Amino acid sequence: MSEVSGPTTDEANGPADSGVDRSLRERIRSNPRPALLWAAGALFLVALEFGRLLDGVLVFGQAIVFVIEGFASLPPYIGGNVEGVVAGVAGDTPGLLVGALAHDGTLLAVMFVVATLLQGYLPVRLDDVLGREMSRRRRIYGERLALTAILGAVAFALIYTPVGSIVDTEVGAWVTGVGILSDLPTLTSRELIPNLGHRTPGGGWEGTFMGLSPAWAWAIRNVLVWIYAFVCLAWVWRGYNVYRTYYREADWTPRDDTVKRFRNHYWGMFGLIIVFAFVVLAAFAPAISPVPADANIYEPYNHEFEYLNDDGEIETVYQGRANLLSESDGQGTVGPMSYDDFDRWMPLGTTPDGESMTTNLAYGARTSLIIALSAVGFGALIAIMLSLLSAYYRGLLDIIVVFTSDTIISIPVLVLVMMLVVIFQQSEHWLAEPLDGGVLLAIILGFAYWPGMWRSIRGPSLQVAEEEWVDAAKTYGQTPRKIMRKHMAPYIMSYIMIYASLLLGGIIITVSALSFLGLGITEPTPEWGRLISDGRPYIGTDSYHVSTIAGIVIALVVLAFNALGDGIRDAIDPEADVDGGDAGATAGGGGG
Amino acid sequence: MSQETVTPDERPGRDTMVEVRNLKTYYEQGGLFGGTPVKAVDGVSFDIERGETLGLVGESGCGKTTLGRTLLQLEEATAGEIRFDGVDVTTLSGEELYEWRQNAQMVFQDPESSLNDRMTIGEIIREPLDVHDWKTARERKQKVRDLLDTVGLKREHYYRYPHQFSGGQRQRIGIARTLALEPDFIVLDEPVSALDVSVQAEIINLLEDLQDEFGLTYLFIAHDLSVVRHICDRVAVMYLGHIMEIGPTEELFSDPANPYTQSLLSAIPEPDPTSTKQRFTLRGTPPNPRYPPEGCPFATRCPVRIRPPEYEHLDEEVWEGIGTLREVLRERERAERTVRERIGELLGRESRFKSLDETYDELFGDVAVPEDVQSVLDDVADLVENDDEAAALALLAEEFASVCDGHADGSGGFDEDDEPIQPEYHSVSVSGRKSFCHRHAEAYREPDDVLDERHG
Repeated sequence: MSEVSGPTTDEANGPADSGVDRSLRERIRSNPRPALLWAAGALFLVALEFGRLLDGVLVFGQAIVFVIEGFASLPPYIGGNVEGVVAGVAGDTPGLLVGALAHDGTLLAVMFVVATLLQGYLPVRLDDVLGREMSRRRRIYGERLALTAILGAVAFALIYTPVGSIVDTEVGAWVTGVGILSDLPTLTSRELIPNLGHRTPGGGWEGTFMGLSPAWAWAIRNVLVWIYAFVCLAWVWRGYNVYRTYYREADWTPRDDTVKRFRNHYWGMFGLIIVFAFVVLAAFAPAISPVPADANIYEPYNHEFEYLNDDGEIETVYQGRANLLSESDGQGTVGPMSYDDFDRWMPLGTTPDGESMTTNLAYGARTSLIIALSAVGFGALIAIMLSLLSAYYRGLLDIIVVFTSDTIISIPVLVLVMMLVVIFQQSEHWLAEPLDGGVLLAIILGFAYWPGMWRSIRGPSLQVAEEEWVDAAKTYGQTPRKIMRKHMAPYIMSYIMIYASLLLGGIIITVSALSFLGLGITEPTPEWGRLISDGRPYIGTDSYHVSTIAGIVIALVVLAFNALGDGIRDAIDPEADVDGGDAGATAGGGGG
Repeated sequence: MSQETVTPDERPGRDTMVEVRNLKTYYEQGGLFGGTPVKAVDGVSFDIERGETLGLVGESGCGKTTLGRTLLQLEEATAGEIRFDGVDVTTLSGEELYEWRQNAQMVFQDPESSLNDRMTIGEIIREPLDVHDWKTARERKQKVRDLLDTVGLKREHYYRYPHQFSGGQRQRIGIARTLALEPDFIVLDEPVSALDVSVQAEIINLLEDLQDEFGLTYLFIAHDLSVVRHICDRVAVMYLGHIMEIGPTEELFSDPANPYTQSLLSAIPEPDPTSTKQRFTLRGTPPNPRYPPEGCPFATRCPVRIRPPEYEHLDEEVWEGIGTLREVLRERERAERTVRERIGELLGRESRFKSLDETYDELFGDVAVPEDVQSVLDDVADLVENDDEAAALALLAEEFASVCDGHADGSGGFDEDDEPIQPEYHSVSVSGRKSFCHRHAEAYREPDDVLDERHG
C-alpha cells in the first residue's frame, strides 16, 4: 500500500514533506539561535538562584524519601499483622513463617505494580531480546515479570549485601555535596543583602547591607525577589513562544486558542497573578522574612542577636526574650512598618507571641500551599481514576463508586476531617508528624474531597466515553488503559482543573478553620488560620493588625484561586465570550 | 425461531467472507434489575461475499447500527454466530480478538465525534499502527502520509488538528484511519448521512475507488435509499431486528417482494410529476423493540396483512381501528399503575386508564362497523372495564388474528404455550432473493395483488 501515491500530490514529497520527520533535537539543531538565546537566559536566571534551587531539590528529595518509606513500611506491617494472627491460631513457628511469606508477597506485589507502571518506558522489547515471536499479552506480562525480578534483585542486594551500605554512603555523600552547594550565595540570599544588624552608638547601622537601615535592606531584598520571580515567569512564557514559533511542528493547536482566551480574560489573569504571588511568597519565604523562621519561631532560645540598648551599649539578647517583650497583645503593640524595641524591623508588625508577622505569613503560605496542593492532587488522582474506570466499564463498578462517594459526601466535610485528625493525632501515628500534622491533614482532606471532584467530572467522563472515537479505538484493539489515558483523560483534565482551582481556596479555608479551632496544624509550624485565631482577642485594640492582615491575605488568595478557576473554565470553553464582561460571574464556588 | 437460516445458495464461484447465522443482540439482558431486554437484533442470518458491498437499510431504530457493531464485536452477541473466513468471532477474546481486529474496521457516522480533536491528524491515523506495532516509527509516519494521499488529503496535513477540517475532510481522515491496518472488511455506518449532499458524492466515489484498489468488502449501513442503490451490490432490508428482504440491489428496488420493502420504496419521492406510481404511507410507528409483536414483526403495520377469511372484506378503516385498538390494549397491559392511580380508581375517579368509550369514538366513530364486529368490540370493552386487558387481547386475537400474528391458521385459538409462528424466508427470484413474509407461501395471494386490491 505504501507505493500508492495520488496523481496530483507528487509535489508533496518536496520540501514541505521532507522537513517533517525530525525529532525536536534535530529541529533545534537546524535552527539553534532562538533556542540558544532562550537557554542562555534561562541558565543565567538559574545561576542567580542556584543555591535556593538546590535547597528545593533537597526538600523534594526528603519528601520522596518519606513517600518511599511509607510504602516500604507496608510489607513489614502486613507481614507483622499476618504473623500475629497466624501465631495466635497455630503457634509461633508457623506464624513467623507465614508472616515472612506475607511480607515477601506484599513486597513482590508492590514491585509488580511499580514494574507495571515502568513497563511502558522499557527501551527494549522482550521478544527482541529473546529473539523469538511472542503474543502481545505474553510479551507484556513477560516484561513486567522480568522487571519485577530485576527490582527484587536490586532490593535484595540493597538489604542483604554490603551493596546497600555502599549505596547509602554514596547517597549520603551526594546529599552533603548538594547541601554544601546549596549554601552558595544567591541573588536574594540574606548573606548578600543582610537586614539584621544593630544601631551603632554613632547613629549608623552595623551588619546591614551597605550600612542601610534594616527597613531599606529588607525592602531592597524584597524588590529583588519580586523582580526575579516575575522575570522568571516572563521567561517561561517566552520559552513557550519560542517553541511555538520556531520548533513546534503544528502551526496551530487547540491549546493556542485556550491560551489566547485566557490571556484576554482579565479576571482570570488577576487570579493567576495573585496565585503566582502566593507561590512566590511560599517559595521565597526565607528571603521575604525579615527574621529567619528557625531563629524567630522554631528555636528562639537558641539564637541570640545584638542591639543597642537605651544606655547606649551593645547588648546581646535571645530572640525568645525579645519576642516576649515585643508582643502585640493589646497591652503593647508593634504595628506594621515599625521597629520593635530591639530594633528588629517588623514590616507587618508582630504576632501576639512577639514573632514577626511577615515571617509567619511567608512560612504559613508554605504550609497552606503544600497542604492544599497535595490534598487536591491526592483527591484529584482518586477522582480521575475512578471516574475513568466507572465511565468506561460502567455496571457494578460504577454503582460501587457511587455508593462509596455518596457515603463519604453524606458526612459534613469539616466533621469528617475533625474526626480523622483527632483519631490520628491522639494515636500519635507517624503520618501525623511531618509539618506538625500538615501531611496528615492533606491526606485526610484529599480523602474527604475526592467524591466532590469525582462528581464534578462524572458527567464529562460518561459523555466522552460515548464518543465515537472511543469506539474507533476499540475497533482497532487499543487497550482500555490507553483508551482512558489518550482518549478520555484529556477531556476530563480541563474540568478537574477548574474544580481543583476552586477547591484549593476551599481547602486553604478549611485548614485555617481547623487551625482556628485548635485542630489541624499545631504549634510551632506557622499557619494563617492560627494567626487569625491568636489575634482575635485583640481585634478591638491597637493590635488589630494580626487578625486583619491574616484574614485579608486568606480572603485574597481564595478569591484569586476562584478567579483562576473562572478564567480556566472560560478559556477551555470555546463558546465563551472572550470580550464579554461576565468575568467573575460565579466566583466563590469553592469556599469551605 | 421457526426459521433458523437463509439457506445459502450453492452457486459456483461464490467466495463467502462473512457468514452470519441467527445472530441476536439484546440490550440490558441480565442487567442489575433484570427486566425485558431490548431486542435490537433478533435473529438475522446472511452472507457477505468477498469484494461485494452489502447494503443494510431500514428505519431509525431498526437495529442496523447494532448489527454492524456486533459484527465488529463492539457489542456482545446474545446468541448466534458470526463467521469470518470460517472463524466464529463471537467466541474470540483477548489475544485472538486483538489479532482479528486488524481485519475488520469501521467508518463512523459522525465525523465530528469520530476523531479525537486533541490529537493531530497524524496521531489519529497512526494510532492503529501503533497499537499493532506495525514496523518502525519512521515507517509508520511514512505510511500515514501515504494514506493521507490515498484519501485525497495533503501530506502536510499530518500536523494539523481535526478542528481545521470540514466535515467531508474529517470523514476522509476517518477513512484513512480505517485503512491503516489494511483490513479486508469495513463496516460503513451511515458514512455520508452527516455530510452535505455535494460532499456525499465525493465520499461515495472515494469509497468505491478504495474498494476497487484494495479489494475491500463493505457492509454499508444507510437509510438513504438512493445512495444505497448507487453503491451496493446487494441490499438487506431490516425491520425491528429482522431482515425482511435480501437480494441484488437493482432487482430489489425495481420489483420489491416484501410488503415492508414495498412500503419503504413507496416513500421515495418520484421526480416525474406524471408518474402514476401508487403511493401509500405506512401508518403508525414501529413497535417497541422491547415488546415486539409475536408473529411477523411487521404485522402491526403491514398493508397486506393476512386476514381471517370471515372478515376478509371488512372496511380498511375498521381494520385500522382494530389494529390500533390492539396496540392500545398492549400498551395498557404493560403499563403499571401507580398507587395513586389505583386509589383514584377505587374512589371512582377517572385515571389515564379510562374506559374505552373515547378510544372507540376516535377509532370507529365515523366508520360503519358490522354487527358481528361490534359485538366483539363490546365484549372487549367489558373486559377492559374489569381491568382484564389480557383477556380482552385474547378475545381480539381469537376473532381477528391470523398467521401473521403468530397464530396457527384457522384455529383462531390462543394458546400461551405455543411458539408463535414466524414467517419463513421464501426465495422470490432466480437470483436467490429472499423475502420474510407468509404471503409468498402457496396458500396465500402474493403481496402485490393484495396491495393493488386494498390500496390501489
